[in-house]
Amino acid sequence: MFRLPNIQLSKITVFLAILTWIGLLLVDLIRVFGTVNEIEVGLDSELTSILEIIFFILLYFFFSQSISRHQNDNFLHLIWRAASTGLIATGVAFSIVSLYVLMEDTALYADPLLRNFFYHVNFALTSLFLISTALLWKHLILYQRNKGVVQQWQAFEIILLVSMFFMLFNKNNFYYGFFFGLTFLIIYSIILSANLKWIPYLTFKEKWKSILFLLIILICTVYLLLQIMDYNIKNPYIIDLIQNLFLLGLFAFVIIYSLFSLLVTLFNLPTSSVFEQKLLEAINFQRLSQSIQPGENEEQVLDILMDSCMSAAYVDGAWLEIMPKGFDPQEIVHQRFISDEERLDVRQIMGRTKPFSDHLGNEKNGKIEYIYGKIPHELYKSALVFPFRVNKKLLGNIFLVKEVKDGFNKEMINIISTFVGQASISVENYRLLNEAIVTERYKEELEIAQRVQRSLLPAELHYNNCFEIAGFSEAADEVGGDYYETYQFDSHNFALIIGDVSGKGTSAAFNMSQMKGIFHSLVQFGLPPKTFLIHANNALSRCLEKNHFITTTYYLLDTASKSIQFARAGHCPTLFYNAALGRSEFLKIKGMGLGMVRNQQYGNFIEEGMLSYAPRDVLVMYTDGIVEAKNQLSEEFGYDQLRIVLNQYNHLSAKEIKEVIIRKVYEFIGKETLPDDDYSLMVIKFIE
Amino acid sequence: MLEITLTKQESHTLIQLDGEVDASNSVELDQAIQEILAAGTKKILVDGSTLNYISSAGLGVFMSYLEDFQDKNIAFVIFGLNDKVQNVFHILGLDQLITIEANQHEALARIYGE
Repeated sequence: MFRLPNIQLSKITVFLAILTWIGLLLVDLIRVFGTVNEIEVGLDSELTSILEIIFFILLYFFFSQSISRHQNDNFLHLIWRAASTGLIATGVAFSIVSLYVLMEDTALYADPLLRNFFYHVNFALTSLFLISTALLWKHLILYQRNKGVVQQWQAFEIILLVSMFFMLFNKNNFYYGFFFGLTFLIIYSIILSANLKWIPYLTFKEKWKSILFLLIILICTVYLLLQIMDYNIKNPYIIDLIQNLFLLGLFAFVIIYSLFSLLVTLFNLPTSSVFEQKLLEAINFQRLSQSIQPGENEEQVLDILMDSCMSAAYVDGAWLEIMPKGFDPQEIVHQRFISDEERLDVRQIMGRTKPFSDHLGNEKNGKIEYIYGKIPHELYKSALVFPFRVNKKLLGNIFLVKEVKDGFNKEMINIISTFVGQASISVENYRLLNEAIVTERYKEELEIAQRVQRSLLPAELHYNNCFEIAGFSEAADEVGGDYYETYQFDSHNFALIIGDVSGKGTSAAFNMSQMKGIFHSLVQFGLPPKTFLIHANNALSRCLEKNHFITTTYYLLDTASKSIQFARAGHCPTLFYNAALGRSEFLKIKGMGLGMVRNQQYGNFIEEGMLSYAPRDVLVMYTDGIVEAKNQLSEEFGYDQLRIVLNQYNHLSAKEIKEVIIRKVYEFIGKETLPDDDYSLMVIKFIE
Repeated sequence: MLEITLTKQESHTLIQLDGEVDASNSVELDQAIQEILAAGTKKILVDGSTLNYISSAGLGVFMSYLEDFQDKNIAFVIFGLNDKVQNVFHILGLDQLITIEANQHEALARIYGE
């Protein structure tokens, strides 16, 4: 569909309106000319009425377009627009009157055609003013609109439309019908004028301004009405454009609404400050709830809180006492309108006046919401103390004092209580957010630690074609303290180690990486297991914390001689399956954890074991997490069960045995239980 | 869960351990021993008959005081451990460093008999 742009549309409307007005003027002038010269001109009053109606409709259309574009302007601006239009219309009307006074003696004075011309100018400006003002009032009436009000207004517009056509049937005479219509319009205007919801939103200053503007509008409207009626009365040859229900109805509406607005605004002046106060409180409340943005701090909330409390209760002086933290002295912040001297004085008096003394002396009293009472001070007569709590802990006390007795009413206390509550939530949220950020950072750090630590465990274990090997490790926390590794000296000689650091979590993980360093520095010397452990103990004694130790078993495997040489530093005894005997047993030799005896005596506690193996034998190295794994009944997996599993599944490959053991352990602890220790496992199956 | 009861008798102090010692509560055990040392007791008995479990962190606490006991000439005896807990001490080799007795009677005999 073809649509005209808006601006062009309004231009066309104005053009048409002017055209209509010129047409109306010409028709009426010809009619007057005919009447004066008693000639039949063939134009009757219907044509005038129809042109008038078209003119009104065009104006109405134009203004409803142009005003809706400025819908969001403030009220004062709207009223000023009406007032200024009124001033222009009145100004022109006044000039015309003055002009006539000047040419009182000339021939033109009595000329009916000129008079009619000016009458039409006056009429056009008055219509313009009335229609634009009525439409401006529409915006005021429909402020905070609901269905009822909108329907009321739509009905009014229909009534106005009907009233325009009224004159076509009425022939401009004062019939009862006309009188009845006008009365109806007046009553309806009164009903509409009850919609004055915009007035309370004006500030005190704006109210004064709007009273002035409304007064201007009233004076202009009344002047224009009188002026136009004056024409009708004084001049016999005037074409009557005023005996018109629509125009008179608009006069009535504009005058009535202006008058109502004026009076209501005037009577609202004294209560204006209360409304402004409430509005301010609502805004403060919103500020409190949104105040802490990331990067800002609690100070800002306390600042807004103090301002809000003070303005809510018209307080004469206020301060906030922050509770001492640790060794910090008590801090006074946000001191308002009161000198240090006065504050100390008041505070001292409160310290020995009931009911304040009870609470202020006893900080633990967490139930008191506020304390309110009189104080015997020469200047300040009443005081209100609000404890400010964050996470149920007393952060400080808000002191509000007033120079009048009984200065705080229930309303004020309620609103302050709400402010304090909201501020406390804001501060709590802020702290929670900060904690969350810190926790998030810790979590990231831990993830890095986890990645680093995972890389400390070997991805691949050394082996040759004489044996298979499989390893597994799982930490209970993000990082663990279990450790295993292999080393290959030559084609037949290997070193194996499995270890467990006391404790768990991060501290265990650090010690585990030390153990790895020691392994790699010592392993290359090819030391016998006992010597290896003595050296490791020496090194660790210097760096382990006093209550930490490491258990480990060190093996040297020679696949040429099919023998294993090993020593145990307090680690769980190795499980060995002897295929020839068809059973498995724990290799129990004397041992002592690394770091437990931090002197030369350590060697005395260590034994060295020697073992010959045959094909199909299996060696299971594990950490205590496996045997101490607990189920829901707090029973341990235990050594026996580990042995039974191996007896049963020794025929499988190393990898399969490893998987079976892990599966059995997890089945044992059950899905509900979380592992509370690190599990590690290394399985060797000899092939030849 | 761990409950530690300290009982001061004639010339020794008895520590009763009830429950489990793990990484989360080993600090409590450490504090208890520190308290006793500060009081100047020369003979310490640990009743482990109701001790169900001890983790490496708990063992580390005992271990960390061994030197102190030696330096200050304090007699330190643990008794009444169940087989499982006793095994933990044994595997670690801690039974070679700490005197462990079967029951209170023998433990008392050990610290007073010598």
